[in-house]
Amino acid sequence: MIGPLRGIRILDLSMGWAGPLACRHLADMGADVIKIESCERFDWWRSWEATPEWIEDDGAEKSSAFNTVNRNKRNITLDLEHGEGRALFLELAKTAHAVVENYSSGVLPKLDLDYQVLKGANENIVLLSMPAFGSTGPWADFRAYGSTVEHASGLPHLNGFAQDPPTMQHVAYGDAMGGLTGASALLTALRHQAATGEGQFVDLSQVEALQTLACHGVLEFAVSGHSPARLGNRSERFVPHGVYPCLATEEEADVWVVIQIFQEPQWHALQQLASPMLDDFGDRADRLSRNDELDEALARWTKPQQGRKIMYLLQSHGFPAAVTNSAADLLHDDQLNARGFWQYRERAVVGRQPNPSAPYRSGGAPIEISTPAPTLGQHNHEVLQGILGLSDAELTRLDHLGVIGDRPRMPTGKDDQAQ
Amino acid sequence: MGSENRMALDGLTVLDVSGSLSTSFCARLFADYGARVINLESDDGFPTRREPPFLEGQSPPENSALHAFLHTGKLSVRWESLDDRVLDALIEQAHLILDDGAPDAGLARACEGLGGVHMSISWYGDAGPYADFVGSDAQVFALNGMLRGIGRVEGPPMIPSGYQTQLAAGMTAYIGALGHVLAGELGNASGPVHLQTSILESALCFTEVGAVGYFNTGLQGDRMGINRFPPTYPLGVFPCRDGWLGVTVLTPQQWHAFCTLLDMEELAKVPLFQSAVGRLQSLEVIEPLMCEKLLVRSSSDLYRKGQQARIPLAPVPTMEELFTTDQFQHRKAFSNAEIKSGASVAVPSVPFRLFHTPPHFGGQVASLGEHDGVVLP
Repeated sequence: MIGPLRGIRILDLSMGWAGPLACRHLADMGADVIKIESCERFDWWRSWEATPEWIEDDGAEKSSAFNTVNRNKRNITLDLEHGEGRALFLELAKTAHAVVENYSSGVLPKLDLDYQVLKGANENIVLLSMPAFGSTGPWADFRAYGSTVEHASGLPHLNGFAQDPPTMQHVAYGDAMGGLTGASALLTALRHQAATGEGQFVDLSQVEALQTLACHGVLEFAVSGHSPARLGNRSERFVPHGVYPCLATEEEADVWVVIQIFQEPQWHALQQLASPMLDDFGDRADRLSRNDELDEALARWTKPQQGRKIMYLLQSHGFPAAVTNSAADLLHDDQLNARGFWQYRERAVVGRQPNPSAPYRSGGAPIEISTPAPTLGQHNHEVLQGILGLSDAELTRLDHLGVIGDRPRMPTGKDDQAQ
Repeated sequence: MGSENRMALDGLTVLDVSGSLSTSFCARLFADYGARVINLESDDGFPTRREPPFLEGQSPPENSALHAFLHTGKLSVRWESLDDRVLDALIEQAHLILDDGAPDAGLARACEGLGGVHMSISWYGDAGPYADFVGSDAQVFALNGMLRGIGRVEGPPMIPSGYQTQLAAGMTAYIGALGHVLAGELGNASGPVHLQTSILESALCFTEVGAVGYFNTGLQGDRMGINRFPPTYPLGVFPCRDGWLGVTVLTPQQWHAFCTLLDMEELAKVPLFQSAVGRLQSLEVIEPLMCEKLLVRSSSDLYRKGQQARIPLAPVPTMEELFTTDQFQHRKAFSNAEIKSGASVAVPSVPFRLFHTPPHFGGQVASLGEHDGVVLP
């Protein structure tokens, strides 16, 4: 591998979104990240509703979600519930700097692979655990998905309109933020390891990670004893401040533009551009007192126009406006394309795939993606022979035992997907 | 090689020359784990000093609670008061300099002498058609595709509150910057490196999977209404007798347990309801029955019993409840930022824990220029 983190090896036991995303950051910077699944307990982002037909159809290799967060890694299978699989894992751990896991609470101890056991194999190893609520405290065993994390973060009480329920932003908002936090935690521990030779146990609470994003509410409450009012798209400080309808296109009926006026000169410029629709409105106090009327007038101006055109027009006058991109739009967004954000790579089974670049770069160009997401067990021979020195005959025997393999098998009634 | 009382980032020096929300949060993570972080502020102070909410009884520029949250454990120096040689030496010896992509010209010139890592965090990056766009969190949520999926079906889509994309970008920059600082210590770096993080590209981590999914299927999730997101159901925030309950039911096992918890056994075995998508297609049938059952039960009883049955149910705490919840108290999820006047404000703690080399929890917030004449290279 090349890259700033070459020479660092991570064993990635994590599944779903948060853990694999955390490890992806290190893989993008050149660490040797070995993702470890088993044929029966494969990453649930391949599917949480596997069927024999899905297996037959190579469904395990077709998940866009899995393939997006696992590029630049190697992949092996090891049945950690089998004595030989567990032993091989511990041998690999002796060569690794860190292990990352986001299993449900209790799974690692049940496998007899908790931190003390890992430390027995490798005194200096770092173990990062990523439970939703952290590994300590009365809720340490609570199960959660990214949505649960958002529920418990406080954030829903800061979004939406007062008459609506506390409002979520995303189907699994906690996951991506958990991934960023996991990568941060891992690098911090690796820096200490590099400076002192010491490993340690590291955990994070994905809920606390999302509470950071709720800091505006936390701070308002801490200062005033009150939560901020839920104003929908409006602001107590700025007006107009909202999301306005735009002309539907052939491809897209649901197009909107965000317009925010932060300073009075911006308001005067908007007033001129949207004349005569906004001629009747005055200073900030006047606009705040007639917010409904103002929003309607502005919507009459935006509605017959293309959203992207409004964005460029308003931005050319120096005030914030942005069109609401759809998932399809993201693949063709002017800025993302100009910066080479999507890197297309051939991937087994699914062919050419877009891959998002790492969100940091040097010299203007994105960090090049070396390899697409691996297939299940793709690197069994490379890793188990190359690192542990197993022979072809030993690998064949392990394959017959079901300890390794490259095809998924139907899970046997297990339900350990939530963190 | 022992490290009693040592912190994970001991020995690192970080200079923040812009004080944007993103650079400030990035630098706070470094400070929380023991790096020496120096804010090089103009005579007016960092922009975060002028952002609400403000602490009563305190005067500008020391009264911003947001500034206090972002700047615990750092030093403050007014850079215009520094002798050029001291400034040059500080920059030369720093492991990391953070800026917002458009630092003051005098500082930008000095930064050219950096021997370590230089990270610029800007809204859209230094090139491309949006490079000169005015940015905001709402704009980024519009452009990253998240905004379109939130809110009522008929619209408008809903703007998420706060500074979320700027904070996420601060953490993203921490990852990129620390990775490259570590590379230098490992002998993997060949000289100074200038990195950049775009807040938009950082925020793509929330939505990139949907774009790749669209590439492969031609399908994208339409806005389905408040707290409704494909492909999962039931998922959302639902009213109970005494508050709100966060519900997520994904797998067949969870669905069966959820039906048992709510005494809705007749729904447990319906073939269509065995998949999350099937339940989403049938929400008009499921939701009235489910809500009727939830409304007569208490939220705490439901999430505790639900968790015992391995269903990921959770409370939906208010701001006030965040401070009184056992779990968050136990983990010191909030700690105090102390202002020099003696005032303090509760702020979120660093969200990850190294158990052998723990972080600072809260700490002092330097007043503007408090370390003028004290900080030396």
